[in-house]
Amino acid sequence: MLRFLRLVGQRGLDVLESLGRAGILLFQSLCYLPDRRELPLYVRQLYQIGVKSMGIIVLSAFSIGAVLSLQFYTQLSRFGAEESIGLGLALVLLRELGPVVTGLLFAGRAGSALTAEIGLMKATDQLSGMAMMGVDPLHRIVAPRLWAGFVCLPLLAMVFSAVAIWGGSVVGVDWLGIDDGQFWAGMQDGVEIGEDLGKGVVKCIVFGVVVNWISVFQGYDCVPTSEGISAATTNSVVFSSIAVLALDFLMTLVMYF
Amino acid sequence: MTDNLIEIEGLRYSRGDRLIFDGLDLVVPRGEVTALMGPSGTGKTTLLQIIGGQLTPDAGRVVVDGQDVPSLSRRELFELRKGMGMLFQSSALFTDISVYENVAFPLHVHTELPEDLIRDLVLMKLNAVGLRGARDLMPSQLSGGMARRVALARAIALDPLFIMYDEPFTGQDPIAMGVLVSLIRGLNESLSMTSLVVSHDVHETASIADQIYVIADGRVIGHGAPDVLQESPSIQVRQFMHGDPDGPVPFHYPADDFLEDVLGDR
Amino acid sequence: MIRIRSIEISVGAFLVAGALAIVFLVVRVSGINLAAGADTYTLHARFDEIAGLSKRSKVSMAGVTIGRVTAIEIDSEYGEAIVSMAIDQRIDNLSVDAGARIQTEGILGGRYVSLIPGAEDEYLVDGDTISETQGAFVLENLIGELVTRMGN
Repeated sequence: MLRFLRLVGQRGLDVLESLGRAGILLFQSLCYLPDRRELPLYVRQLYQIGVKSMGIIVLSAFSIGAVLSLQFYTQLSRFGAEESIGLGLALVLLRELGPVVTGLLFAGRAGSALTAEIGLMKATDQLSGMAMMGVDPLHRIVAPRLWAGFVCLPLLAMVFSAVAIWGGSVVGVDWLGIDDGQFWAGMQDGVEIGEDLGKGVVKCIVFGVVVNWISVFQGYDCVPTSEGISAATTNSVVFSSIAVLALDFLMTLVMYF
Repeated sequence: MTDNLIEIEGLRYSRGDRLIFDGLDLVVPRGEVTALMGPSGTGKTTLLQIIGGQLTPDAGRVVVDGQDVPSLSRRELFELRKGMGMLFQSSALFTDISVYENVAFPLHVHTELPEDLIRDLVLMKLNAVGLRGARDLMPSQLSGGMARRVALARAIALDPLFIMYDEPFTGQDPIAMGVLVSLIRGLNESLSMTSLVVSHDVHETASIADQIYVIADGRVIGHGAPDVLQESPSIQVRQFMHGDPDGPVPFHYPADDFLEDVLGDR
Repeated sequence: MIRIRSIEISVGAFLVAGALAIVFLVVRVSGINLAAGADTYTLHARFDEIAGLSKRSKVSMAGVTIGRVTAIEIDSEYGEAIVSMAIDQRIDNLSVDAGARIQTEGILGGRYVSLIPGAEDEYLVDGDTISETQGAFVLENLIGELVTRMGN
């Protein structure tokens, strides 16, 4: 019994210690703001994190938008309320699915890549080497990835929502024959910039910070062996995903309840 | 300006429960090649990290070029590191940029020199290691030996006071080994540098070192010129220098009596 | 730092795509809303039943949106709801006897305020109250009445 308590206590302390290190990492890295000379570094990260994720984001968005449209149609046509598809689609995507699905996809694709890359740099002494040459790895490696990530996730989520709505319109209007005007007008009437779009953006920003922070920290803190990197990559995806879902619940509660 | 570039006295350092250094003393004179040798796992790399200020010792003095390293501020440490070159075991080249960019890196970080001047310097350094033609290659395209030479070019980019070499000869074919050996010695002479070589390649190291420190069990067990150490009174040192398979470092991992072990199950 | 043109171009394209998505979402999806401000003036209306009308519900005339509900308060003395609306400045010819009705959009739609023009020459100005009002239609009341009648 005593041993169990000790174990729990030990684990608790380990977790706190990790959180502490993660916090220090975040704080120290954020002190490094982009510098004109370092722009190429940031551009490269925007490419690695943002551009390379566009493929999966666009594909998923279109599919999800199309499926949602189909499902809404099936249900709403029973009441003769098909015109509401546009509104339903927009609300669901802007408020929930846009930020959340993008967050999860991002964690899986970009987040894991970040963790693996930084972990590998640690294992091959690149971070050490940099430090020995008087360059703070937090400055040159971590900060650009964090800032680029903060920018990319909200942008990707916007693209996701836009493509999904468009996908939904392709299915609803072009295929299922819902009236074009009603589809868009119903949407425009019901969707509000502050309430729906704005709060969705807030969620994106929060997810952006959390997912990137977790991914970068897992890489930076990992055990510099191949098993260590593999474990860190898995952790970063799992923790990020859990964090996105939990925070989404909390934020939805606070924002809409 | 003392005669010794590096002075270490009474160094104590532990990592977790393991005591790595227990009262280590060593002196690296200017302008010479000093070697640190010893069995695997004695913490030779850790020692380099302590000298470079990446790790802080628990006790003892670590003085580099007259400055007490553990007590330096971040800014002072940054300045000191300009004068230190380090060659890692894995070469630690930045994999996302080209050979040229790698060698230019310290110049970009530590100086405000114009691009064309930097270009000249980089080409000179690459030429010194014989890889000027490889400047546009990416690290992934280099062989291990070539990567090490590029890393060496990078380490001398700022004409440092001294260079630390962490296991430079490990896993190299004879030609690459020969190249490195001549480079280390040659650079030390031509650039009037001080070199600290960590290695367990007795033959190669003995051929270029002015003096050798043999480290085991957290302290110095032998010290002197290579030929002197070969005939050292200490059996530990002799086992190491001659490469004897059995001696103070035993061949057998501790186990029960052989016959009992094998026949014991019957 | 090497600058690779193709990477820079693709990042530029990515940022443009993001910006376009935002514009799309703002314009096409959210529609341009009439926010309370210099372009609008305020009118009030009292209803005995608003059932489901909410703060950002639309105000329309002949089906065209001309404003938004900005506030809903209760007058507990008379048991009436006071609805404040922001009306587009350009619609400045609502007569003092104009009517306001709370209606429902479609079957599942939300409530909105429909304004019916009047006949007087005098027009409503900022701060005026519309007197001709008709409250929201509540289905349960009708059913209740029906049941009562059938019972007799």
